[in-house]
This record gives sequence, C-alpha cells and structure tokens, in this order.
Amino acid sequence: MRPANNAGLARIIHEFFLNNPGWEKRLRVLASAQQPLLRKWFRLDVGAKQALFGYAILLPTLAIILVFRFLPMVQAFYISLHEYDLIRPPKFIGLANFVDLLQDPLFLNSARVSIAYVVFSCVPVWVLSLGLAVLFNREIRAKNLFRSAAFMPVVMPAVVNALVWTFMYHQDGVVNTILGWFGIDPIPWLRSSTWALWAIILIGIWRATPYYMVIFLAGLQAIPHEYYEAAQIDGASPWGQFRHITLPLLKPTTLLVMVMSVIVAMKVFAVPLIMTGGGPVDSTRVLPLFIYQTAFEFFKMGRAAAMSVFLFAAVMVFTLLQIRLFARGED
Amino acid sequence: MARPTRHRQGWITYPLLLVVAGIGLLPYYWMVSCSLKTNATMFAVPPQWIPDPINWRAYGEAWRAQDFTRYFLNTGLVAIAITAGNLLLGSLAGYSLSKFRYFGRGFLFLLILSTMMLPLEVTMVPLFLIVKKLNWPNTYEGLIVPFLVEGFGVFLMRQYLQGIPNELIEAARIDGASELRIYAQIVMPLCKPALAALGVFTFREAWDMYIWPLIIVTKDSLRTLPLGISLFMSSFGTAWDQLMAVAAIGTLPMVLLFFFLQRSFIQGIAITGLKE
Repeated sequence: MRPANNAGLARIIHEFFLNNPGWEKRLRVLASAQQPLLRKWFRLDVGAKQALFGYAILLPTLAIILVFRFLPMVQAFYISLHEYDLIRPPKFIGLANFVDLLQDPLFLNSARVSIAYVVFSCVPVWVLSLGLAVLFNREIRAKNLFRSAAFMPVVMPAVVNALVWTFMYHQDGVVNTILGWFGIDPIPWLRSSTWALWAIILIGIWRATPYYMVIFLAGLQAIPHEYYEAAQIDGASPWGQFRHITLPLLKPTTLLVMVMSVIVAMKVFAVPLIMTGGGPVDSTRVLPLFIYQTAFEFFKMGRAAAMSVFLFAAVMVFTLLQIRLFARGED
Repeated sequence: MARPTRHRQGWITYPLLLVVAGIGLLPYYWMVSCSLKTNATMFAVPPQWIPDPINWRAYGEAWRAQDFTRYFLNTGLVAIAITAGNLLLGSLAGYSLSKFRYFGRGFLFLLILSTMMLPLEVTMVPLFLIVKKLNWPNTYEGLIVPFLVEGFGVFLMRQYLQGIPNELIEAARIDGASELRIYAQIVMPLCKPALAALGVFTFREAWDMYIWPLIIVTKDSLRTLPLGISLFMSSFGTAWDQLMAVAAIGTLPMVLLFFFLQRSFIQGIAITGLKE
C-alpha cells in the first residue's frame, strides 16, 4: 500500500516538472541563491565564530547565576510585599511587613545583636590579622610550622567549630580553666545573656583572624624589600617603617579586608544556631538566624523576605564598596 | 628585617608564636583528647589534659548511632560535584570573559561579579521557593545545582587567564586546533595553579555548607555530615565523647586537604584579597 503510494507521489512530482519546465529551473535558481547564505552560516568569519564560542561557553554559568542568584534576589523583593505561609497562596499586603518589622522589638534587637557582632568581632580581627601577618613576614625559624598552626582555625568546619567550643565553654571547661590560671573567675559563657554574645564573638575572631592574615601576608609580600632597606639606611625604627612604609602600601589590602570581614560577619549563622539557638533571652539572635527561624520555623516567608531586604541593603553598601575596590585594581 | 636586633626580638617573637600556635591548635587537641576520654573523666575538675585511660569506643559507638557513613558519602558526593562544576564552568566562563571579544562582555562580567558577595542568607527564602517549584527539596540536584558555579570562581579564572599570552592561543588557531581543543589542551594545563586553588577553596566551602542543606533536606538518607553532626548534638547532647569523635572524623578530610594541598589551600584564600 505505502510503496505504491510513494511511487505514485514520485510520479506526480515527476509529471509536474515535465509539464512545467519553468518551475524546475526556478527551484534550481532558488537553491543556488541560498548557497552563499548557507555557506555564511557554516563558515562565519573567524571573529564572529569565536564570539559565538565565547557566548556558548559562558551560557551555563549565566543560566545558573540568573536562575539561582538574580531571580531569588528579585523574588525577595516581591515576596517581601506579601503574606505567605507556604500553604495558602501569597496575599499582597504592601509594605506592611516592613512597617511591622520596624516596630518589632525582636527584629530591632536582632539588628542590634548583628551590629554588635560585626563591630566587636571585626575590629579585633583587623588588628590581630595584620599583626600576625607582620609577625610571619619576618625571618623566623620553623616559620612553616608556626604558620600552619596559626592557620588551623580556618580548616575546622563551622559545625565542628560550634560543637567543640560549646564543650570548651562549659562551666568547668578548658576555657575557664585557662582563665583560672590568670586568676579570672569562671565565666558562665553560653548560659548568660551578657556573656553568650561575647563567647560567639571570640569564636568569630578565632576563626577569621588567620583567614585575613593570609590575605595580609600576600599584600605584605608584594611590598618591595628595597623600601625597607632604604629606610634602615636612613635609620628608621621598626615602628617608623611600619607606620610609613607598610601601612600606606597595604592600604588597598586593608580596605579589602575590612569590607570582606564585615560582609562575612554579617552572615554568621551556624555558630549561634548550634551553640545557643539565639538565646539566652535573644542575646545571640543575629539577623541571618532570625531570618532562618522566621521563614523555616514560623513559616512567615513574607516577613523573612522583608528582613532579607534589610540585610541585603546593608550588605549591598559594602558590596558596592568592594566592587569599586576590585574595579580600581582592574585599570 | 633589622639583623642586629633580631636576637633581641627573638625573646618576644618565639613565645608569642607559641601562644598563637597554641590558641590555633587548642580546639583540635581538645576535640581529639576528649573523644578518647570516658564519660567519667570527661568532666573531671580540673580537666584532664591527657586522657587516662584512653578509650577508643566512642568512635565506633557514635558511628553506629546514626547513619554517619551515609552522611559522609553524601557530603563527599555533594562537595565533589560542586567542586567539579565550579572548576569546569568557572574556567569556561573565565576563558570566555578574558579571551573572547563579543557584545556585552563587560556587562556580563559585572553581572557575574556582582553575585560574588550576594549572600545566601539574603536569598535563602526565595531560593528555597524556586528549588521547591523545581521539586528539588530532598534531592541531590537541590543540594548541588544552585552552587555549580560561583562569581568568585569566574573572577579568579578570568584574572588568571588574562595573564596567559594571546599569541599562544592564536598560534594554536593557525595550526588548525579547534576552539574546544585549545581550551582543554592548551589553556587549561597552563591554569593548573589557579584551578588547584579554586578547587581546594570550593571543596572546603562545600564541605562546610550548613544553612542550605538545613533548609532543603528533611530526609535522613540525604543528610550531609554537618547536618548529621548538629542533629546528633541535639539528640545525644550529653554523650560528649561520641560527639567529639564524630567531630574529629568530620574534620579529618579538611585537615588532610590542608596538609597535602597546603599551597593551593592558602593561595585560594590569598587570591580572595588580590585585585589583579
């Protein structure tokens, strides 16, 4: 049945061209006219072909970044204008979430805790990491060994960090024992609303200092030795060298460390969640932790998104600063 | 630096170094030593610095109490997949942004760069909703795909690739090598230090990931090690020897990574502070 039909179709076409000789010619002309165009598609000029390849290999990255970074960012704003509990459909409520938050003592407290955490963990980190970097930039024996030991806090996973320090902060734990050697009375670290935040800040300092030390070290190693040699010939003291050579030349690195450390400190989450869960009496409920609890324990997605917008605004200020720093290094 | 004063400064420098090293190592020492204590010696006052008797039982007991083997493998799988993705996609994107000329390149680079410091803490609520819409909660896709590439990796690879001379790529093109071949066989071998630094950095971050698995994983079979450890802590909060044993095992891969790839480990961090 089918072969007969196909044969029939072929015959019809054949007969069509036999009866209309002009058509066959017209088709031929059309096909040959397409040839340069087809050739152009398959043999693009070198520059265009390369550009196409450039786009192609960037595409997967762009797709992931757009779907999983930018889309959520835009959605955060959208959701923040709604009341949404994951079950009922989102209900538009305008700016009510934001208005509520600004009157919510828990949120204001959380913002205060976050700011305290950022300020009191970052400032010591800047001083200590720069100090350690200067120390390790000298000629010292067994430098590698000491540097590795100092670097170890960065190696420890965040959750393990929280777990081990919880044990060390115990009333009769090792931290209080060591403080006791210096005549300091035991401190009720995680059980007291005055001390818990300090306990978490100390861990933040412990963990962040070696990280920025490495960045400072890279900056220090980029300073030419000749500067110091010249200063020594002029009789400059070590402190004078530090003040007038190291600090000014390290300024870009210092700015960068400041910005990075503030952003990282704003995101602290695992340690307070595991160690205190935000308590006692909300004293360690940093903003990311409060966002998490609002969204995934109380299922107030809109409210949590509104908090994220506040956090976003704070981070954005520092991000823009950082991009400007990066951009300046570009030219 | 100043040679004549070096000996005098040694008196301050070395004790200071010892204190710094001690502070850096104390939690490690405490973790391991407490994992070897018994419940009786755990809370001795004053604390026992060297466990006596040494007791290895906690390791086996903790490992059996929950499916830690599974958690360990999950974490490994997720971390390896995320690392592989960042190396491949980051290097491709970095190569594209540094060595190809096309419309919108500067803008696209800025777009990717601007996500570098967009923290998950800001986007976690909507990101969860997106992943939920994709039906990815409690799947490996949900744990892996959103993190297959990061702005940092693209940035790092682009900066490094800019240092590779264009003539090399041009010469390969004249020899008739295909674009993919140039990427894989000529450009990538030259990027080994950058790839190593990015790889170690990404692996560390992925191994450490906590907030995201916490949000999208509720099934036990998909728990990662950080989740398993924190869960173990809330359900066996008093079995400190076992907790420390689990913590020590969870830390071991990072310590090994650091010791065997120390240079790349440190470079990955140093690069986050470099502008060129």
